[in-house]
Amino acid sequence: MNRRVLIAIAVLALAGALAFAARPHETTADDRVAQITAELRCPVCQGLSVKDSTSETARQMRDLVAQRVREGKTDAEIEAEFRAAYGDWIFLSPPLASWTGLVWLVPVAVLAAGLALVTGRLRSTGVPQPSAPSTTEVAALRERVAREEAAEG
Amino acid sequence: MLARVARILVVVAILGLVVTLALAFRRDPHDIRTGTVNKPAPAFTLQRLDGSGRVSLADYSGKVVVVNFFASWCLPCIQENPALVRVYERYRSSDVVILGINYQETRENGLAYVQRMGISWTSVADDDGRVALSYGVFGPPETFFIGPDGVIAGRHIGPIDEETLVTAIEKLRGQAATR
Amino acid sequence: MSAGDLGAAALRAALFLSLWGTGTAIYAAWRRDARVLASARVAAGIAFGLVVIAALSMMFALATHDFSILYVAENNARETPLFYSIISLWAALEGSILLWTAILAGATAFIAFRGTLAIPRLATTALAVMFAMLTFFLLLVTTPAADPFARLAVAPENGNGPNALLQNHPLMALHPPLLYLGYVLTSVPFAYAIASLILGEGGDRWLVATRRFALISWALLGVGIVAGAWWSYAVLGWGGYWAWDPVENAAIMPWLTSTAYLHSVMVEEKRSLLRSWNLALVVATFALTILGTFLTRSGVVNSVHSFSLSAIGPILLGYLVAILVLSVGLLLWRSARLRDAGPIGTPLSREAIFLFQNVLFMAATLTILLGTLYPLVAEAISGAQLSIGGPYFDRVEIPVALALLFLMGIGPQLPWHGASRATLERQFTAPIVAAAFGALAALVTGTTALPAVLTYALGAFVVATVVQEFARGVRARRTLHGEGELAAFASLFRRNGRRYGGYVVHLGIVLVALAVATSQARTVDAERTLAPGDSLEVAGYTIRLEAIRPVSEPQRDSIVADLAISGNGASEQLRPALVQYPNSTAAVGSPGIGAGLRDDLYTILAAYDQRTFSWATIRTRVIPGVSWLWLGGAVIGIGAIIAALPAPRRRSVRMAVAEVAVSAK
Repeated sequence: MNRRVLIAIAVLALAGALAFAARPHETTADDRVAQITAELRCPVCQGLSVKDSTSETARQMRDLVAQRVREGKTDAEIEAEFRAAYGDWIFLSPPLASWTGLVWLVPVAVLAAGLALVTGRLRSTGVPQPSAPSTTEVAALRERVAREEAAEG
Repeated sequence: MLARVARILVVVAILGLVVTLALAFRRDPHDIRTGTVNKPAPAFTLQRLDGSGRVSLADYSGKVVVVNFFASWCLPCIQENPALVRVYERYRSSDVVILGINYQETRENGLAYVQRMGISWTSVADDDGRVALSYGVFGPPETFFIGPDGVIAGRHIGPIDEETLVTAIEKLRGQAATR
Repeated sequence: MSAGDLGAAALRAALFLSLWGTGTAIYAAWRRDARVLASARVAAGIAFGLVVIAALSMMFALATHDFSILYVAENNARETPLFYSIISLWAALEGSILLWTAILAGATAFIAFRGTLAIPRLATTALAVMFAMLTFFLLLVTTPAADPFARLAVAPENGNGPNALLQNHPLMALHPPLLYLGYVLTSVPFAYAIASLILGEGGDRWLVATRRFALISWALLGVGIVAGAWWSYAVLGWGGYWAWDPVENAAIMPWLTSTAYLHSVMVEEKRSLLRSWNLALVVATFALTILGTFLTRSGVVNSVHSFSLSAIGPILLGYLVAILVLSVGLLLWRSARLRDAGPIGTPLSREAIFLFQNVLFMAATLTILLGTLYPLVAEAISGAQLSIGGPYFDRVEIPVALALLFLMGIGPQLPWHGASRATLERQFTAPIVAAAFGALAALVTGTTALPAVLTYALGAFVVATVVQEFARGVRARRTLHGEGELAAFASLFRRNGRRYGGYVVHLGIVLVALAVATSQARTVDAERTLAPGDSLEVAGYTIRLEAIRPVSEPQRDSIVADLAISGNGASEQLRPALVQYPNSTAAVGSPGIGAGLRDDLYTILAAYDQRTFSWATIRTRVIPGVSWLWLGGAVIGIGAIIAALPAPRRRSVRMAVAEVAVSAK
């Protein structure tokens, strides 16, 4: 009974912590710039984000994003500005809307298919467990092993 | 049944993988086409490199405009310069305009480069890089061809040669003539 | 005879021996002829020696700047220091293939001399497969495809020197060889698997024969990947350790399938189930290593490794197709024999957990494969150009990784065949409580992002289960042998290294997971242009720019920024630099890193006043927890070594059974 109470308390604490972590919170202007630039691809680098790149082009792009955020533009408007100049290539993850968004579906599909395949292989009922050896049984075990090993020499 | 379907899927997937990789050889990883082509050229107003005033894209409306992004730290720009000079001379007294946009460097460096390379066409400075970003520039040298209707007809990434320049310009002049 | 001539001749002789070996091994396996096998053995041994001679010849040619050899002219210069000259053996394509060939020849010789003693017919067939693969690679290095000893008609006065990024850091000596060892050694389980399928026999014996190879290749590949992450961090200078670059993906995919295999194999050993899974995983691991090499060398995807692109792309693709056709064909042909006898177990049994982890690892691998190749597919079909980078992979892989972390915790605790409710309660109370504490610890340290809190909770969960397992093992040994606690602890490793070494590896994985979660959640950036004497503050550190100065060395010129660090108890000097090598147009950024257990201070010289050095743009990152990544890698390596050690000879089987019986309850 004690164990179950302990587990219940622990699960509640865990859930509380996770809920706290998942809470929606204020994003500052800097946060917004960081979020947007993390999704933009630096045009002169090998796949780095604008946030991570140290190139001059990336720095200019960060400046531009910061200015647009100050001007009060929404994320969608800022992204549209870059899309107009560079096309979808400039985004590091494909947009959900167009057909390229299919790529988001595939991991889910693969996982679902895999799980479906394997759950078919599982048995529904369990096999009874051998019970734990008592101390007398353990002592007997030990004695018997020692005897047999001595006999082997 | 399910196992057979899975097996067929695996074979199909592997075939798909191989075909994809084989097709990938035909593609040039340096050719990135998405962007501002076939859209109206973004407007801009920039200072001349020698500080003698401002230039707007609107000043050239109705003309064929070749916009060339360059920088002195860019080696292929040095390579392509003679071709630009020859084309400039050829179309000097016509309605074709060549405009050089210097970016990601100081005015002094840009000016020194222009003087050193014998660049006689108008050169302006894109100090904060905004114009380059609005055009979707990947890096110098990059050349844009803007028609008399103000639409970007084409773009060339990397050092350009005389033939490509002339072909593109003539095509746009042909369009202008038929109006 | 010059080094180049010697090397070229050695490779051609090795090629003949390899062809001979292929033929004799096939014959010896078919006719069970021991004398012909002996001939194949000799061929393997000599071929290995010859390829090693060729590799050493190339190192000699690099060290002595023999520019009559094209490879040396392209990858070496007179100013290149000796250390970097020698390790330039693997700086570019031809030398890398030579290194690959040398390792493959070594593995072939090992199977020839050791493997064939244990299970003659199976191992001989596997030897034939190894020889066939070795022949392919020797063909690469003796033909214009990838001949490292190709000559120049006129030797230039000086060579190009290695690519700037490849001579900037001593890690270059470690990362490629480790990775290649990991890659090439996956061919051994593959060869045995193919042999087992061809012969239609061998049952599970090939698993035992290749178990250590699989473990060692997994460990080397893993450590090689961590070394690559360290490279990305310390050399590439962008402030991160993993960018989901196509070549990084190419390395981690075989590692994922290899990890799945190492676990799934236990189900086959214990209950003879999941045979087709295991064969498929071995084949997939090996095929992915070839795919990885192909992606790195063919230029079809843009990446940081696009150093040397050559005509080898189509050839490697052909090789990959041949391997896939052979393996998948064999698997389909033998599929009837490989079917599992019955259902696997209840959902809460160890077998089922291993099955789930197989699915998760495969899903993770397929997702990475798809994400890496999707831009190619999309462009081939519609001409659209799109990017798939960090944000996509992060979003898709983090949930899978967390699920795997969870399985890592419950798997070892669940008995075979299934667990009762009482068992579950008893075994998981402490870990669940630990998970709650882990989550709270995350919040207390300010790590409040949801994935990070989950990682802390699951990490604590896993650590608790591992501690429980050790405690039970110690208790069992004390009960049965009356050993003291420390002695019991030590003998756990000695007598059951595979199990407890595995637990140590799990602890290492937890460290890595915590490092990734913490660094992703709490990294802080700051960038400012400073004049000498100015400082900038970030996360409690004060960084003062003292000077910007040029430094000249024979092989390169650098601009160095001297930074004085204070705050948070730190007091040191960091020197980020921009390094210019003569053969490269752009300068290479060299970060100044102040490493610490709690966090790293990462500084980059982004820009500077080229005329008078009157200002410099300094970019800093404070990255908490990243040191745990390297520590975790080391722990994984140690755990793998423990697991790979041979068990003591005179191990009493009865005692082992008794131990397990007592500790299982």
